[in-house]
Amino acid sequence: MSPRTRLWVLACGVAGVAALLAVTVWRLPPFGGARHPYGERAVEAALASRVANAVASVNFDQRAFDTLGEQAILFGSVLGTVVVLRQTRDERRVEPEPAGVAGPVRRYALIALPVVLLTGVYVVAHGQLSPGGGFQGGVVAATGLHLLYVAVDYRALKRVRSVHLFTLADAAGEAGYLLLGTGGLLAGTAYLTDVLPLGTFGTLASGGTVPLLNAAIGVEVAAAVVVLLARFLDQAIEIVTSGEEGDRAPGTDGAPGTGGARPAGGTGRADGADGPHRTGRGGAG
Amino acid sequence: MNGWLAAACALLVLGLLPALAAACTGPVLRRVLAQNLTTVLTALVLLLLAQGYARPAYGDLALVLAVLGPAGTLVFERLLAEELAASPARTPFQRLMGLAGTAAVPPVVLALAVVTDPGRATVKLLLTGCLLLAGSAVCTRALTAAWGR
Amino acid sequence: MDELPVALALLLVACAGTAAVATRDPVRQSLVLGVLGLALALLFTVLQAPDVALSQLAVGTALTPLMVLLSVRKVRRKARSERREEHE
Repeated sequence: MSPRTRLWVLACGVAGVAALLAVTVWRLPPFGGARHPYGERAVEAALASRVANAVASVNFDQRAFDTLGEQAILFGSVLGTVVVLRQTRDERRVEPEPAGVAGPVRRYALIALPVVLLTGVYVVAHGQLSPGGGFQGGVVAATGLHLLYVAVDYRALKRVRSVHLFTLADAAGEAGYLLLGTGGLLAGTAYLTDVLPLGTFGTLASGGTVPLLNAAIGVEVAAAVVVLLARFLDQAIEIVTSGEEGDRAPGTDGAPGTGGARPAGGTGRADGADGPHRTGRGGAG
Repeated sequence: MNGWLAAACALLVLGLLPALAAACTGPVLRRVLAQNLTTVLTALVLLLLAQGYARPAYGDLALVLAVLGPAGTLVFERLLAEELAASPARTPFQRLMGLAGTAAVPPVVLALAVVTDPGRATVKLLLTGCLLLAGSAVCTRALTAAWGR
Repeated sequence: MDELPVALALLLVACAGTAAVATRDPVRQSLVLGVLGLALALLFTVLQAPDVALSQLAVGTALTPLMVLLSVRKVRRKARSERREEHE
């Protein structure tokens, strides 16, 4: 297709979308009006299942299957990042230098760390009562853990963070959501139906499966973010391509042609024959 | 529109817009200080909005921002250490920004604490205020210390 | 008058968004991006969508800047060593 034709196709698409948008906006109810047909029904259904936060009811009860898809997207994208950012054959690890962090900052981080983790758990646990839920709380808790890198030292983070365990937790959270859904099938209704006792409105244990699904998502998201950042940190701090200088001067290189030292740890694996091989640069200088 | 919402609007116009302008121009040190100021002011605006809309649950937003905001600023402090060390010396304007980040917290939080019914909500509000104060003070100190290094 | 907070939040988002686009250096851009995230959280709050605002705060405050800056660090290190290699 020539660039000119492509431009015409694009113009047709843009014009079509613009026309549809214009028609839709014309027929929209006025901004911030008093009539919300969908909202009224959603709130009614939320109150019927004793979930105080109507948004949580929509996400984890009325539209729980959509949320399953959304968290599968997160799971898949983290998986993809782990594969793309893995240690390849021509890369090796260098030990990062310890960082000099000022005393007050370090003390603040060590005091704030449990507070942040607790806030994350609080946000997850109150998902059915107030704004928040598994996703938000999971991200808060995972970010809190990285205070260790930001304000203490990378090695302190590495000591408490077993990437292997967090990978397992990621999968367990994802599986937990799937398995909680089958409760509906066992009870003889549809997948992901809220079949548990609903509890008292406005308490932590209200809403049947909603808090449980929130907890599963919380585990999955927190673990996913930790695994994701672990790969980013690996690449930015530890892993260097042969010939590239790390945070510290590299040690003795491997023989030319083999592309430096062999990958350390279990994450490195030899990649296939395709892909740009830049072997031999380590000794080429 | 009640007084709390008016206060939120005033803080947004008089505090957040200038802080945004400061975050978009000048040397990196000034930008990061302005980013720190923005997080504090946003948390305060969120607290005022929660009171203005009479929805105490909105206070959770300010709590989350109070714990994550300093983490965000420390990310910049840690990963931009070179740029921060190369920034020109501190100006009075930067000192003013650091001061505003801590000085703005007590009046707003105390005013809100007076009108809140004593109970768990007050504890959460005061906790948010303490976290904001401590976080902002630590970040400002860390940033100005980074300049000397 | 009741829509004043919405109008002001929209104004803040417009200013921060324009500034984020106009900043070319990725490091400085990540700072403006952080401020834009806060402005968006305010906008979602005044539009009575606190769940969305909380998501925005959780992701935009520390996580996005950390990922952007780590990527910048990796790319710059790579570019520096490649430049040095050309000189040799």
